[in-house]
Amino acid sequence: MIVAGLALEAISCTMYFTSRAAIRHEAQKRAETELRKAELEIELHTIELETAAKTLALIAERHVDCPDSIYMATDLAVRTMREHTSVAVAYVPDYFMEKGRYFEVCSSRITEDSVHTRQIGSDSHDYTEMEWFQNGFVHDSCWWCEPYMDDSGSEEPVVSCSYPVHNGKGEVVAVVCVDMALGYLQRKLPEYLKVYKNSFYSIRSSKGGDIVRAMDTVPGRKYNTFNEEIDATGWHIEIIIPEDEMFADLNRVGRIVGILMLIGLVLLALMLVHSSRTTQKLIESTARNQRMENELYVAGAIQTAMLPKVFPPFRDVLNVNVYGTVKPAKEVGGDLYDFYVRHDKLFFCIGDVSGKGVPASLVMAMTRSLFRSITSHDEDAASVMGKMNKAFVEQNTQNMFLTLFIGILDCRTGMLEYCNAGHNAPISIQQSAVSIQPLPVMANLPLGVEGEWVFQAQQMQLAYDDVLFLYTDGLTEAERSTHEQFGEERMMKELAISDYRLGSPRQIVERMQASVETFVDGAEQSDDLTMMAIRYQHPALIMRNDIEQIPTLAEWIDSIGVPEELSMPINLALEEIVTNVMLYAYPGKSGQVLVECNKAVSDQPSAIRLIFTITDSGIPFDPTKKEEVDTTLSAEERPIGGLGIHLVRQIMDEVSYERVEDKNVLTLVKNV
Amino acid sequence: MKTEIVENGNQVVAKFIGRLDTPAAVQTAEDVKPLLEAANKEIILDCTELEYISSSGLRIFLSIRKEAAAHGSKVIVRNINADIRQVFMMTGFVSLFEIQ
Repeated sequence: MIVAGLALEAISCTMYFTSRAAIRHEAQKRAETELRKAELEIELHTIELETAAKTLALIAERHVDCPDSIYMATDLAVRTMREHTSVAVAYVPDYFMEKGRYFEVCSSRITEDSVHTRQIGSDSHDYTEMEWFQNGFVHDSCWWCEPYMDDSGSEEPVVSCSYPVHNGKGEVVAVVCVDMALGYLQRKLPEYLKVYKNSFYSIRSSKGGDIVRAMDTVPGRKYNTFNEEIDATGWHIEIIIPEDEMFADLNRVGRIVGILMLIGLVLLALMLVHSSRTTQKLIESTARNQRMENELYVAGAIQTAMLPKVFPPFRDVLNVNVYGTVKPAKEVGGDLYDFYVRHDKLFFCIGDVSGKGVPASLVMAMTRSLFRSITSHDEDAASVMGKMNKAFVEQNTQNMFLTLFIGILDCRTGMLEYCNAGHNAPISIQQSAVSIQPLPVMANLPLGVEGEWVFQAQQMQLAYDDVLFLYTDGLTEAERSTHEQFGEERMMKELAISDYRLGSPRQIVERMQASVETFVDGAEQSDDLTMMAIRYQHPALIMRNDIEQIPTLAEWIDSIGVPEELSMPINLALEEIVTNVMLYAYPGKSGQVLVECNKAVSDQPSAIRLIFTITDSGIPFDPTKKEEVDTTLSAEERPIGGLGIHLVRQIMDEVSYERVEDKNVLTLVKNV
Repeated sequence: MKTEIVENGNQVVAKFIGRLDTPAAVQTAEDVKPLLEAANKEIILDCTELEYISSSGLRIFLSIRKEAAAHGSKVIVRNINADIRQVFMMTGFVSLFEIQ
């Protein structure tokens, strides 16, 4: 802003001073031109008057003895001249005895037509005292006197040109005088010398007398003076121009430019102020948005923290494995899942609040705490659902509703009691029947619609290795950019593959997630996506990192009921892995190792997979990275160690390692 | 898991009874030390009553085999069950021991 102002100022100053110099130069040229014109005019006039003087002198010399003839001569001389003037011939005192002491014949033009001629010499008009008369004796040529007041002819200030008249002996006997009225100069010259409206001029004689007197200058006002000398008369002409007059136009333009510039600067300043305010507002609103985003992020984190993060094994219940995820479309979502174990029972639910974002997330939080508080003293699924509905209806001021599925699984018996309130039916994967189909659910109303609705519960007996897959419609309605939906068919197909291939709830959910992401191919997620998988399984084996616990492995394998011929090799493979964990995963401290077994059945082709999962939370270690031992070496060359992982690879059909959060997860698969 | 060692002229017989798993291997490694001292004789590892062997047990077998080889004698593994034979196959131990 300041820089812009200074730049403009610099430009305008440069322009101003350049223009000033140009104007001064122009004024000087103009003044000089006008001065020359004026000089010419004066010269022409003076030559005319001088010629008249000379002519009259010649005539007077011819008639030097005849005083009366001079009357006609002066009269004629006045008549021949353009300008009104007076002409006189004054003789030396007592030249004509009969005419008295003073004899001066003078002719003056009175009007256009009449000329007044008379003798004006007298005691009271003693011309001999006058300068012009005396000049006649001093200068033998035309000579202009200093200005004086003509008291005889025109009675105005005049300058006079004198020329001597000689007698036969060459003595000066008379002087011819031709007047030039100063009024003439004052009338005639402004035509040339008024260069500006308020400029003025002066003419001074060679002796400094004012022929045309300059106007008084005003103190403090600056003037520019241009002058010229008139050769014929020795006069000085001066043109005096007030500086403010000379630069009036420039100053006016300068003022206009200045005002415009000021307006420009003010506008610029206003724009700057405005834009800085806008920027400030932008910064503020950005900061506000940032804060809101941060808050939403925190809210999202809180919401995620509400969901169970620690997955089984549970302390007492070793035969359920649960895994769930919520992927909100926005920072916070309206989907929820929850599970926990109490009295050998797994309480779980999955739900979808109508709407998205913050309002939905609040309902979600409320639902989750209702679920926890009601199930803490009520183990009847229908009753729990009814109480939740009532509480929800009472607090539901926003006409929101919620679809919810509640399950209570008795881990000792595998009996599942469930109640569905308008939610998508979970998918039941029953290994023994090799069937994947939706759980039969009653068409209850969603929560929040009708406070008095009587919910009905259902039951199902689960067998080991059965899986329940629960989801919200964010899964089946996930859209790719062409608006094609992921759909149930794709979901079922994916479940069949992943259950058989992988088995663990976490792997089933993660594989489904990956499958959906591949399907939508980067299209924006429009709805919250929640999935939960629950496997009812043979109780897992938990061991401390104590070698002495190894024998329990054999008992556990016997209890799973693997084919007899596989018992020993499986035992060996598991022992090798477990030993490794016990010896190396927890250096210097105690830790656990968890062994799980899932049976996966496929009828296309008919096959059974035994999937063993060994989990520890020790230091990261991938046993599959261990180099293969060379079994062809001789006993001398064979290293003592390294046999364990080799045996595991030999016995098992698949060996894979994953580091999941802070856990080592090794999966061993044996196809039966 | 029990280990019985019987010296019989030019032969030393080690009889393994039970499951030679990792925890058992610690004791067994102690128990077979007399075998290593008698490595100039023919060593017979009697596995008739050996139910199970893990890599820890295999390591003991391998160390006995190395010691015997150093003394120019041989190690015979006798009466291994099908499962253990399978393990010997998988580890290439079948080619390191004379199996009867």
